Amino acid sequence: MFRAGSSKRFLRNTLIAISWVPVLLTINNNVVHIAQVKGTSMQPTLNPQTETLATDWVLLWKFGVKNPSNLSRDDIILFKAPTNPRKVYCKRVKGLPFDTIDTKFPYPKPQVNLPRGHIWVEGDNYFHSIDSNTFGPISSGLVIGKAITIVWPPSRWGTDLKLSTGRDCISKRAILE
Amino acid sequence: MTVGALPIWSKTFSYAIRSLCLLHIIHTYAYEFTETRGESMLPTLSATNDYVHVLKHFQNGKGIKMGDCVVALKPTDPNHRICKRITGMPGDMVLVDPSTKVNHIGDVLVDEERFSTYIKVPEGHVWVTGDNLSHSLDSRTYNALPMGLIMGKIVAANNFDKPFWDSRRNIWGFKWINNAFVDASGESN
Repeated sequence: MFRAGSSKRFLRNTLIAISWVPVLLTINNNVVHIAQVKGTSMQPTLNPQTETLATDWVLLWKFGVKNPSNLSRDDIILFKAPTNPRKVYCKRVKGLPFDTIDTKFPYPKPQVNLPRGHIWVEGDNYFHSIDSNTFGPISSGLVIGKAITIVWPPSRWGTDLKLSTGRDCISKRAILE
Repeated sequence: MTVGALPIWSKTFSYAIRSLCLLHIIHTYAYEFTETRGESMLPTLSATNDYVHVLKHFQNGKGIKMGDCVVALKPTDPNHRICKRITGMPGDMVLVDPSTKVNHIGDVLVDEERFSTYIKVPEGHVWVTGDNLSHSLDSRTYNALPMGLIMGKIVAANNFDKPFWDSRRNIWGFKWINNAFVDASGESN
């Protein structure tokens, strides 16, 4: 009698727990999530360790980031690579729609005007970075989230994410109405 | 102490949250039934009141083929969604605008360059155009579409202007959206 009752309660609690999984997924997909940053393109702001393989985990804010008016220059963002939708890149926003950007090699033109809904992204470590200078301005619909703070490892808590903001490449800012 | 002891409104609220989130997850990952508007896909989809069945398995362009109809975020404005047909895969050479002698204002050909320019679709991108070329804003204007913006593939459509049960026994004008692409180069060989 007792055993039947407890297994019934166990089943019930499991079902209740499972019913909350979609809620968690929805929040992770649309509001806030945690992501690992790999590679050296954002040095020295992210992954400054050269001797260890430790990587930084960041807190990602996802709500409304696909809208370019919610992004600002020098935000660190994660976005789907335009050349391969299964890859995720982490770069810094250097230009918002309608800005004029001074490009560098290998971009074919010395200056570019960003079209509507497109942003310019570059890595802080711009000599070792595949960024907008390679694939051009990206559509803000590709943005997954904005990095707010570092959550792991603990030794990196409280790091200033605007420690270094990379190359100064903006030539003319868009006139805001 | 137990859930039963909570007030009735909080229980209702909790059930509502969980079921809405479940619906959202299904809409994100499996299947969506959504309205389409606009003239760009005539005659495949009508301009108003057409609802489409979208399979989310194909999001991010996974397994997408030439000639498929897709729903994607608009590259120039992520608040809008577009519904177009794929007319070029990565690595294909496409003519930017094949609709010559359509875009005239008087006797002047608008933006003549587009009618003689070929573009190679870059890796991870697709070329999309509407079925109604004369009234469609598509890759001819905003260039190739990154696959990361593709949200799903349209497999069927309903039209709620049609009767529930018509002479051909289609519920609300139900029709499959087929891939009508014929590879002309393959056929001639």
